Amino acid sequence: MPDHAHTPHAPFQRKEDRRLVTGHGLYTSDRTFAGELHAVFLRSDRAHAEIVSIRTDAAKAMPGVHGVLTAADSTAAGMVKVMCMLALKGTDGEPPRVPARSAFADGRVRFVGETVAMVVADSVAAGLDALEAIEVEYRDLPHVIDGGRALDAGAPLIHDTAPGNLCWVGEAGDRAAVDAAMAAAATVVELSVESTRVIPSPMELRCCAATYDAANDHYHLYSVTQGVNALRLQVAFAAGIPESKLTIHAQDVGGSFGNRSPHYPEHCAVMLAAKTLGRPVRWAGTRSECLASDYHGRSNQIAGKLAIDKDGRFTAIQLDWVADMGAFITPAGIASHTRNPVVLLSGVYRIPAMHGRWRAVFTNTSPIAPYRGAGRPDVNYMIERLVDEAAAKLGMDPADLRRRNAIGLDQFPYKTPTGTTYEATDVPGSLEKAVLLADWKGFPARRAAAKARGMLRGIGMATFIENTGAGVFPKDQVDIEVDANGMVHAYSVAHAQGQGHETTFTQVIADAMGIDTANVLLHEGAPDHVLIGNHTGGSRSLVGAGSVCKLAGLKLVEVAKSAAAAMFDTEPSQIDYAAGTLTDRVSGKSTTLAELARRPEGLKTQAEATIGSTFPTGCHIAEVEIDPLTGTTEIVSYVAVDDCGHAVDHTIVEGQVHGGVLQGVGQVFCEKAIYDEETGQLMTGSFMDYTMPRAGMLKHIVIDENCIPSKINSLGAKGVGESGCTGSISAMSNAMANALRPLGVPPMDMPFTSSRVWHAIAAAGGLK
Amino acid sequence: MYEFEYVRPKSVAEAAGFLAANSDARLMSGGMTLLPTMKQRLAQASHLVHVGPLGELKSITREGDALVIGSAATHDQVQGSEVVGAAIPALAKLARGIGDPQVRYMGTIGGSIANNDPAADYPAGVLGLGATVVTHLRQIAADDYFQGLFTTALGEGEIVTAVRFPVPRRAGYVKFAHPATGYAMSGVFVAETGSGVRVAVTGAGNGVFRWAEAEAALAKSMSPKALDGLALDASHFSEDIHATREYRAQLCRVMAARAVNELLG
Repeated sequence: MPDHAHTPHAPFQRKEDRRLVTGHGLYTSDRTFAGELHAVFLRSDRAHAEIVSIRTDAAKAMPGVHGVLTAADSTAAGMVKVMCMLALKGTDGEPPRVPARSAFADGRVRFVGETVAMVVADSVAAGLDALEAIEVEYRDLPHVIDGGRALDAGAPLIHDTAPGNLCWVGEAGDRAAVDAAMAAAATVVELSVESTRVIPSPMELRCCAATYDAANDHYHLYSVTQGVNALRLQVAFAAGIPESKLTIHAQDVGGSFGNRSPHYPEHCAVMLAAKTLGRPVRWAGTRSECLASDYHGRSNQIAGKLAIDKDGRFTAIQLDWVADMGAFITPAGIASHTRNPVVLLSGVYRIPAMHGRWRAVFTNTSPIAPYRGAGRPDVNYMIERLVDEAAAKLGMDPADLRRRNAIGLDQFPYKTPTGTTYEATDVPGSLEKAVLLADWKGFPARRAAAKARGMLRGIGMATFIENTGAGVFPKDQVDIEVDANGMVHAYSVAHAQGQGHETTFTQVIADAMGIDTANVLLHEGAPDHVLIGNHTGGSRSLVGAGSVCKLAGLKLVEVAKSAAAAMFDTEPSQIDYAAGTLTDRVSGKSTTLAELARRPEGLKTQAEATIGSTFPTGCHIAEVEIDPLTGTTEIVSYVAVDDCGHAVDHTIVEGQVHGGVLQGVGQVFCEKAIYDEETGQLMTGSFMDYTMPRAGMLKHIVIDENCIPSKINSLGAKGVGESGCTGSISAMSNAMANALRPLGVPPMDMPFTSSRVWHAIAAAGGLK
Repeated sequence: MYEFEYVRPKSVAEAAGFLAANSDARLMSGGMTLLPTMKQRLAQASHLVHVGPLGELKSITREGDALVIGSAATHDQVQGSEVVGAAIPALAKLARGIGDPQVRYMGTIGGSIANNDPAADYPAGVLGLGATVVTHLRQIAADDYFQGLFTTALGEGEIVTAVRFPVPRRAGYVKFAHPATGYAMSGVFVAETGSGVRVAVTGAGNGVFRWAEAEAALAKSMSPKALDGLALDASHFSEDIHATREYRAQLCRVMAARAVNELLG
């Protein structure tokens, strides 16, 4: 345990819930601006085409229209850059090829949904009328929508600056050692999988608004975001302006899952319009617009090989990975699907030889950004499916095969052959807990009973490890101050989009200061507080800003002690602090935080820390039952045992795991972005076709913790925001494979839709 | 949405007169399909003539051997109606399975069958029960009314006022809900009526249709087994990213068997 044990709290309602569920939140589209105009976008309706001409005269002359912008404007304004956070040279000696991207398609469209033009009008309706008057002449070009095919010789070239559609190629590990181990192995298991392209769909649609202060040449951008600092950095870069000329405003944000983190062309577009027209300009996307143009997630094709010796020990793993980037780069797109898998190539296992190759490629599809897990669920999916295939091939219990190979608690810190050092965790312990909770041993009887009812039952396990909390900024800072009423205010630039920071961060501070959480308020993204700090992403916030909140609370007490000592003309060491009251041990005089705050100099301080990655782990077990007549699946049981380090609020942890697991259910059973091969059109362009998971798909979930506190932050916390997703995709897919294997169904991929499952059963000859 | 004028007539006669005088006006009952389509600018109207609130179209009554449901009766009204529950429980169940509560509070039986979405539930009930569609001008037998993809026997400006269902001996309806929309990917209504067994299928093809082979087989023996190996022409079934033609055919068979089980109680 960390030195400061937190005061146990009964689970309580999240502090932000009353405000949010009673309609008192302040989301970007809740804001109005005097004199505001509305923007609507004309988007590409084709996958790949040259823009021969764009005629906007008729649209400009329409009633209520103030302006029509195209690439002619955005390129002239220098809004043409895309930030790429990976600078690493690949194995060909080249850094990532990062094609320019003007805020509007310049000369060529490269995916359906790409911004082509924008109308700014008095109302959305007037803008939509004018959009219909814009004439674009296209010359169609051949397209490619599949990452693997984009690498084929003769595939349509998407960017002249990226020959062969290759964005980046990198390798990690020791190929010779792996080849030798494969040759010497008693068993080699091979499997190719696809972590399917999905469309993160936060409840709040993507939107932004901009104002321009001409007197100071300063932009104000209001936007959904995962953190104002990261967004300011990126948008300023894309817009070609210094960061000091841009202020980002955001309060409440309704979901993100990764795709509210990057900059988008629409940011620059509304900024440019606000400057050009001298009026506030706002835009709110529709669901269909967002499905097509929000950055998508995953889309990785992975071929894997696992070598096993005669004793069932893993000796080598090799992956060959094609990371589809879509038509353009997003800031963290390449890194999340290449670097994270390198860090986690070992999974939770001792594997002496490892090698992988990663190729990031361009396709005529919406760009790919990190999505809940950011490459970690993908690599885990590959490894854990290999492990289950290996167990089946060896005739071993998958739990036993994992017991034999998992890194034991006594082996940490563990350094993997690709150079990652895992911090301590107890995967074997989590596995044993999960096996008991799921009644793993009782499964054969349950399968037999299901069979008697004509149903196919399967059980699947996944163990996982994640690197969470890696930040872009060098440190996290938190401002803390006490107001005249004794309320403690904390300021952070991490930004909640549903994570419950107001609950956990205030609890951390209250614990550190021995006061009631009701007396602590959290303000995130307050523009007046120019802090260094990371956005919310990569399961970082509690580890980073949250642990700094603890430091801030402790530091504020020390500052208060000094102030009280000065007031009583004594030494700080003579001051006792308890529950907001400071007492001079000698004179018995006392004061309060509120009283000290009322002094002219107030009562405030700032805390900061530099915090690296934590390594949460877990073992999840899913049990499914398939109706072979219809191919439909019911998840009959789900067990998640997680090591999230020190848990501040168990309710919040459970909520994160529930949400993550259900998001995995979505990818495993229903969600998939589908582009038509022939036309390049997005076939899943509305919720009529893009199937979101429903709450009822997961009726029962058992959650337990097996936590080893992290040593790298003051709370001992490890990130838990993505674990549910990382564990569930593998566990549920393994359960499906387990249910189908007795019928001779070859390993199949997500999504396990009823139609695909029924066909797989039929192709294998049906029930036996 | 393009601009339009909203019109609230006081009677069916007034609505019919308005439609006759305004060729670009459109009739709206619950608006559950029309409004989303207009919002996407895929449909346009000079006026929306809203008959949904008309009291004269909302009644649900038992008239001898028939159950008569006013065209503006909402799905929620039908699913909760004691009259429907006593006469044709399978129809109440069908209504209960449409959309979500919001849709069921607004959507109406008349709107559903006038639109004739190939995956809507009501067409299966209306055709499966051999109902009669009553309009302000005439009566149309269900067998003549449904004419494929979004097409019906209704003339220009013709307003559905009620649906008259002969009360069957027994009936059952089971659908396989589309995972994204909840519409029927395949829904089968089986009824044992005074004029024989009727089996109507929605969701699988271009519009609701009767499965003649199943009707004949079930007339001989009302049991799921009677359906085993029956011919089913799936050539006109739809095929899309959600389901293949073969899979839809399979669902038809399974839903039919389950509907028979439900009919048998």
